[in-house]
Amino acid sequence: MNEQLEKLRPRINALDTIPTIPTIIQPLLAMMQLPPDQMDLEKVAELVSYDETIALQCLRMANSPLFGIRQVETVRRALIVLGMKRVQSILLSCSLNQLVPADKWALDALVFWRHSMGCALVTRKMAQMIGYPDPEKAYLTGLLHDLGILVNSLVCTEDFRKCVETAAAKGISINRAEEEHLGFTHGQSGKILAERWHLPADLTEVIEFHHDVASAQNARPLVSMVHLSDLLCRLCELGYGYYEVMGVEFTGDVAWASLVEHYPALASMDLARFTLDIEGAMEEIVGLVDAVFRTKR
Amino acid sequence: MGGWGLGLGSERQEMPMDLARADTGTDLKDPAYRKIRDLIYQISGIYQPDEKTYLLASRCARRMSVVGAKDPSQYLDHLTVRGNREAELRLLLNEITIGETYMFRSPPQLEALRTMILPQIIESKNKLGFKRLRIWSAGCSTGEEPYTLAMFLLEARETLLKDCSFEILATDLNDNSLVAAKAGIYGEYALRNTSEVLRRKYFKPCDDKRLQASDQLKSLIRFDRVNLTDDSKMLFLKGMDVIFCCNVLIYFDLASKRRVVQHFYANLLPNGYLFLGHAESLYQVDDSFRLVHFPGTSAYWKPPVGYTSGSKP
Repeated sequence: MNEQLEKLRPRINALDTIPTIPTIIQPLLAMMQLPPDQMDLEKVAELVSYDETIALQCLRMANSPLFGIRQVETVRRALIVLGMKRVQSILLSCSLNQLVPADKWALDALVFWRHSMGCALVTRKMAQMIGYPDPEKAYLTGLLHDLGILVNSLVCTEDFRKCVETAAAKGISINRAEEEHLGFTHGQSGKILAERWHLPADLTEVIEFHHDVASAQNARPLVSMVHLSDLLCRLCELGYGYYEVMGVEFTGDVAWASLVEHYPALASMDLARFTLDIEGAMEEIVGLVDAVFRTKR
Repeated sequence: MGGWGLGLGSERQEMPMDLARADTGTDLKDPAYRKIRDLIYQISGIYQPDEKTYLLASRCARRMSVVGAKDPSQYLDHLTVRGNREAELRLLLNEITIGETYMFRSPPQLEALRTMILPQIIESKNKLGFKRLRIWSAGCSTGEEPYTLAMFLLEARETLLKDCSFEILATDLNDNSLVAAKAGIYGEYALRNTSEVLRRKYFKPCDDKRLQASDQLKSLIRFDRVNLTDDSKMLFLKGMDVIFCCNVLIYFDLASKRRVVQHFYANLLPNGYLFLGHAESLYQVDDSFRLVHFPGTSAYWKPPVGYTSGSKP
């Protein structure tokens, strides 16, 4: 652990004093990993109603043209219209979104959540295609992989903002800009918060190692999937809002090789077609995220 | 919604009614469209994601009214069991690729060239003392693509290409297209993506509606008639750095497609790239090339001798 990161640790550890976040996150995470038939509508409705802002977001979204034209006035009705899974994701991303005040975002919040939501969907789709046994976990880890970006925005706002600016100007990855300018990465800072919040071990590994798959230990397949989905999103205009100079030969990526070992179906995946599918779904991902976050800031 | 479940999957069972997007018309949900989509992919390599079925539907609609098919499943018969199915498929492919050609049709391809591919090629050429770049527009149609490439290269000549010379080979099978390409006269549609600055720099007025490519632009391009399935001719087109072959292979059967792609592979220098049309892929057509993704586009890469997976392109 390096020096810069150590200085950051106490500041990250102080983060859970922020209201509502940890309260809502633990039960949510547990609930999101249940199979659909074991989900309890009342419990989700209760969580949504816990936070007035989030309840309003859900209602606003249920009333958006994306979901047809109707009048939705109650949280329970919104849950039925939107589906419980979708609402849980909104809940999770909204509560994390509240963690970072508007003036501390280094990235556009919309851009960040498009990337996270895109990554969640792509990771789950990939999980389904290759036969990974827990697609919902894949979804969840895709959604939260960049927790460290929120941490960096919050605890070293100005330095991180400079990182993002440098990354955009040079067309390099945020990860590399962090290595060069901060001395630590969002993987490392995200891990500190993940441990502090007692997030599940595999999720913590994804948060820490999604840019460094070779270091992943127990959750290597999950980390690999998120790593590949993250790349695919950045290649399909669901990145961080700037042109990143990159050329990726997926079959040559260490994550690919590691994933193929466990899931041979990956080797015959039609990647060109998968990419076009992501591009096809992009409009809807953007629509979904914008419906949740646009009016908020 | 293509199995992405606009949000988060498995909610389909949870929702009493699938109200989402119910107003976009039931027609699109016709499974025949998906079958037509899969057929087109299998035959031509052009893929349309589920979310873009409306595009496919509108393209089919035109052909359906011509042949008098009442619904997509009847039209599917025209494409699969009727005697003239091959001709019909070709006509549908024409509809699908119609309007594909205008200048600067695919900026992501040019960005990939500018930021990654050309710097890489130039670096490896410099090591060997080579200074000349060769780019081939295979199936150049009426010339929009080679002129775009010519403008792009000229714009980079002070920076990226300051120590290089370059030439563009533009070939097509169709004589009429080649005549038009050599004339280089274009209207508003072809120039819709070309900035005022570039228009003034590289074109001269032709008549009140159209512009003509300047002699400088033309001097960079060598036009030639080439049948891509003509083995003897293909053998003489070696030493290419980048090949563009957009929406051309779709008209070939699998065997010819494989042969053409193998020729491309042989004609490219190591580290060279092959670009196809945006929705085209070589899946199950070829496994010598490596698929490389760039932002908003992808290309097929010929690795250098001795390359093993794992080292970065």
